[in-house]
Amino acid sequence: MDILEELAQIARTRPEKLKKQKGKGVKIVGYVGRFVPEELIHASGAVPYLMCRGGEPEPPDAVIPYMLRFMSPYARSQIGYHLLGIDPVVPMLDLIVAQCSDCHESRLADLLEYFKLPTVRLGVPPDWKKSLSRGYYQKRLTWLREKLEVLTGDKISDEKLKKSIEFINHTRDLLSRINLLRKKQPPPIGGYDIIRLNHYSFYCDLEKLLPKLNDLYEQLQKGKSPFSREAPRILLAGHVVGMGDYVVPKLIEDSGGVVVAEFLDEGMRQCAWNVKTDGDLMNNLGETYYLLRTPPSIFQPAWEERVKIIKKLIRDFNIDGVIWYELSFEEIYDLECSIISKAMDEVNMPFLKLESSYEYSREAAGPLTTRVESFIESVKQRRS
Amino acid sequence: MAKDINEAFLRLTGFEENEIAEYLPQWRQACEKLGLTEDDVKFATEERLPAYFAVELEGIRKLLGCFVKETIDLTKANEYKERGVKVVYGILPAILHYYYALKLTAPDKVYVSFPDIFLTMVMNGFFHKLAPYLEEVEKAGIPYGCRHCALNKTRYAARRLGVIPPPDISWIWGFICDEGPKTDEFICLYHDPEWKTYITRLPHDQSLGTVEDEVIDRVEYLANQMRDGFESVQKEIGIKVPEEKITEVIGIWQRYAAKLAELARLMTADPQPLGAVSGRLFWEGLFTPFNTGMESMEEALDITIREVKQRVAGKEGLLPEGAPKLMIYSIHPTVPWIAKMFEDNGVGIPLSEFFILTKKQLTSPTFEDPYMAAAEGWLRTSGMVNPGYQAEQICEKLETHKFDGMVFGLMDFDRWLGSSHRLLARMVEEKTKLPVFYIEGDNWDDRDYSEEALRTRIESICEIMKMRKA
Repeated sequence: MDILEELAQIARTRPEKLKKQKGKGVKIVGYVGRFVPEELIHASGAVPYLMCRGGEPEPPDAVIPYMLRFMSPYARSQIGYHLLGIDPVVPMLDLIVAQCSDCHESRLADLLEYFKLPTVRLGVPPDWKKSLSRGYYQKRLTWLREKLEVLTGDKISDEKLKKSIEFINHTRDLLSRINLLRKKQPPPIGGYDIIRLNHYSFYCDLEKLLPKLNDLYEQLQKGKSPFSREAPRILLAGHVVGMGDYVVPKLIEDSGGVVVAEFLDEGMRQCAWNVKTDGDLMNNLGETYYLLRTPPSIFQPAWEERVKIIKKLIRDFNIDGVIWYELSFEEIYDLECSIISKAMDEVNMPFLKLESSYEYSREAAGPLTTRVESFIESVKQRRS
Repeated sequence: MAKDINEAFLRLTGFEENEIAEYLPQWRQACEKLGLTEDDVKFATEERLPAYFAVELEGIRKLLGCFVKETIDLTKANEYKERGVKVVYGILPAILHYYYALKLTAPDKVYVSFPDIFLTMVMNGFFHKLAPYLEEVEKAGIPYGCRHCALNKTRYAARRLGVIPPPDISWIWGFICDEGPKTDEFICLYHDPEWKTYITRLPHDQSLGTVEDEVIDRVEYLANQMRDGFESVQKEIGIKVPEEKITEVIGIWQRYAAKLAELARLMTADPQPLGAVSGRLFWEGLFTPFNTGMESMEEALDITIREVKQRVAGKEGLLPEGAPKLMIYSIHPTVPWIAKMFEDNGVGIPLSEFFILTKKQLTSPTFEDPYMAAAEGWLRTSGMVNPGYQAEQICEKLETHKFDGMVFGLMDFDRWLGSSHRLLARMVEEKTKLPVFYIEGDNWDDRDYSEEALRTRIESICEIMKMRKA
């Protein structure tokens, strides 16, 4: 897995690289959320930087003096590192585009502004089946495009946008091909690596990333699986596994299971949906980002459709068990968990709910390990 | 005893002697449906209501009676539905104009309610017995640990327990929190496929300090969302509402709001003439439709204003003259001991910020179109907008009513209204230099935050305020 390590190294050294680019006058644009099209940022000549850190308890705690403590630790983390003075990137951002599709994200945007970080908001109406709402999102995308043009001083021509869309489509294609290799039993790569690979893909220059993804695909296709043939095949579902929040996927695989599919709203590239490169490109972006991809949990209606998608993943990836990874106080995911748990029960699919506030001390990790190990063991016995 | 205690309860809650015979059997049936025992009614009559509400005032007794009548009516919703009356629900906060406009248009053909509000107010506020409802759903898909909203839980519980029927349409507003509308999706998928919903939402995407009612695009978008929602509701239930009915309701609402502004002015008199909890129930009339109508509420308000004026004229108060007074973000009669604890410790919290109006809110709308007018009104409301604009409005209210400080919090369950309080506290303190406090707690459900849990915090705030004022 040398390629993954190389990509990890690129991601680790990303702040220094960004600093150099900024020194040369390149604008750095941070963004929060899957509805902010990185294609637009890329086409504006700025460098996109996805803000999706997580996995440590101190950053969300640093936000408590400014926010209700019963808020998502993930949303709080996006500014928590900065408040602790340990975020090397956020202070150098020329602009932060904050998606506002739910209360947690909107309150994060409030804090970003309160702390004088250069923030604009991208409103995403959750009532997505209505043409009014679709029109709203589309209008906000146009507004964002203008903001980016003002920031960089460069007009986003259709040509630039098309090139950018093609690049990112290509990235998605490669990630998708790697992802689909996991249909094999045993899979050549597990979820712990796939999630990290997705994260790294947000932090590499696309020109460097694409050949590496290509090489990785070739290598995985020919290589031997590191997993046992008996390893239970797990679907990991929930809101997000943040950059750095790898305890749970790693624990699943250390316990003898393998994550062969993810159903996560954030932090992953939505690889199954490419943006069309002909016709009205802005319209294509709006359509793909807002209408075509799996609706996030906050959308309404969404859960019935999401259950169908999960069931399809179960069939397509031959899933043995579902692990729901929930972040504390994310009330919408907590409701959805009950819906999915009920649906899994109806199809006799083993289901485990895990909840985390990013507290992974030795004391907290003990019970978590026991639960995951017991679940994997029971799924294994069920299979045999 | 049963007859006596129920009669006594109705008498205490402002029912006229000639009404009691008619309402007594209905009330007893309602109690059965709600799970209230004779002991519960006795507790409310002899302890709870006299302790927290100014039942010596006729206006307050009648106010309590409005809630009792509405609750009785709520327990008949199943019968209404069986008779073919269209059942329309909503959730708080929403603009109630549309629900009333339906009622004005077809009074006998439609039943309107925000059922969770009445159940929560009455079951906890009057009887302190909401817990069985909450526990019912905590074992059925809405777990305890995630701090879900008691209102949403109560709505779901009421359906599970058969207290209310599925609606012909539940027009759900997500202009504030996400959990309200998503709970309806939950009820439909998890428990009752007959639970039909129409959703109307507005993203929270305005920068800090934006005066949202002056952003025409935003007002228009919101107006269009409301128009779309209301048209869908009318289509669903087959009742066509002429626009002049909405305008008529706006007129009624404004008249009621103006009277409330007068009550607010009286409540901040020195000495404070009326306990916070008693007055607060009137404000529910601004945000929650009463299927039984607004007339009784308005009558109770008129009587109360008259009675409170007499107290003010006679310098009669529940606190000594010159006592410190705090504005609180929102005090809920569902947990009435919070306000009482402040008052018992010599500090008044006469008004809830969420419910008192700014000068701008009391001015006429800029637009004639009823949807634009309603949208503009909504975006003038402090709790509905970005914290920068909200803080400006809070500062104006503190100044207008000459408060000595402010209390935020008690909204832990709300990821929108409650999540900004710590930030707002900073903004307001920076601007006004007044003392600002934050209390972690839950205004609907006091199982976690009991009197004893909050006593130290409230007593300390009161001590600080008294020392500052001395």
